[in-house]
Amino acid sequence: MSRSIRCLLSGCLLSIGLAVWSGEGTTYGTGVSAGEKVTIEALIANPDRYVDKLVQVEGIVTDVCPKRGCWMNITSQAGEQTVRIKVDDGVIVFPLDAKGRHARAEGKFSYRKLSKEESISYLQHIAEEKKQPFDPASVTSELTIYTLKGTGAVID
Amino acid sequence: MFGMQSTDDGDPVVNRRSWRYWFRVIHRDVGYLIAGLTLIYAVSGLAVNHIDDWNPNYSILQEQRTFAPIEDSTRMTEAELSATLGGALDLDATPQRLLRTGPGKAQLFYDGVTVEADLASGVAIVERVSDRPLLRDANFLHLNHPKGVWTYLADLYALTLIGMVITGVFLLRGRQGLRGRGKWLIGVGTALPLVALWLLRWS
Repeated sequence: MSRSIRCLLSGCLLSIGLAVWSGEGTTYGTGVSAGEKVTIEALIANPDRYVDKLVQVEGIVTDVCPKRGCWMNITSQAGEQTVRIKVDDGVIVFPLDAKGRHARAEGKFSYRKLSKEESISYLQHIAEEKKQPFDPASVTSELTIYTLKGTGAVID
Repeated sequence: MFGMQSTDDGDPVVNRRSWRYWFRVIHRDVGYLIAGLTLIYAVSGLAVNHIDDWNPNYSILQEQRTFAPIEDSTRMTEAELSATLGGALDLDATPQRLLRTGPGKAQLFYDGVTVEADLASGVAIVERVSDRPLLRDANFLHLNHPKGVWTYLADLYALTLIGMVITGVFLLRGRQGLRGRGKWLIGVGTALPLVALWLLRWS
């Protein structure tokens, strides 16, 4: 094999290594920087104040889209308030092993109050996605879904 | 001249000034170069095609377990609750993290294991997640999750494939070439996606 071909192959392998290495970091998308820092509790206590604003939240990753990594739920340290970080398929991919890790995420905030039927349908969809049993009778209240249209995140 | 003679590397002796000769050289050597990547993309393609039926990246095992209900978990410290739950579910007493996710609910996180527990009813879902070896890496590259430098390498690979198609089409002449059965096979191969599109989208 000539020297030039060996150099070309070495360059390709080095580039592949660098590409893979750059994807293994803990910063996803554009990371977090510009958004207004707000606690999840404050966000949920006064959601209208933050609608359509770029905000930054932090907490524990409690769930991740199991197939496409296209969303993750971040729950406050206190544990009861959750915001979903939704990203476009393939643009950012959250790893399933992020569960339980501390994360910061940034994106445009929105929220939606669901009717009882919508709440059942929503939870049923989640259960199907996770292949878990679901009993519609277990839904006793209407849900409100708090979402960041995610632009970036840092997972510790 | 195409004949019975061959060179040391097995190629028939052809006129080295012919474009067909160079197409053959390009097709052969570039084919060797992209063999590995083509295999990775093809295997990953098969895997992600069926994403509605299975998870191409992770193996996820879930089991529902029961334990003695914990009536008043609010009085327990995190360490006590972790130890009680971990012990009841045959897991480590010291998870990486415990979260009380609602009244009478808790989540425990271990390395590769997540537990969602309903403390009042004594029911827990234990989920074990592991990577599918090699396949997750193949999908990672195929779906361009790394972005950055890999985007340009993947572009180069796609352009190379286009080059392979063009050189491949003109490799042979005669009855087995483009003027012979080649044109019919190309026609069938091109018609296939067009017919599928017509049936699935336009009709």
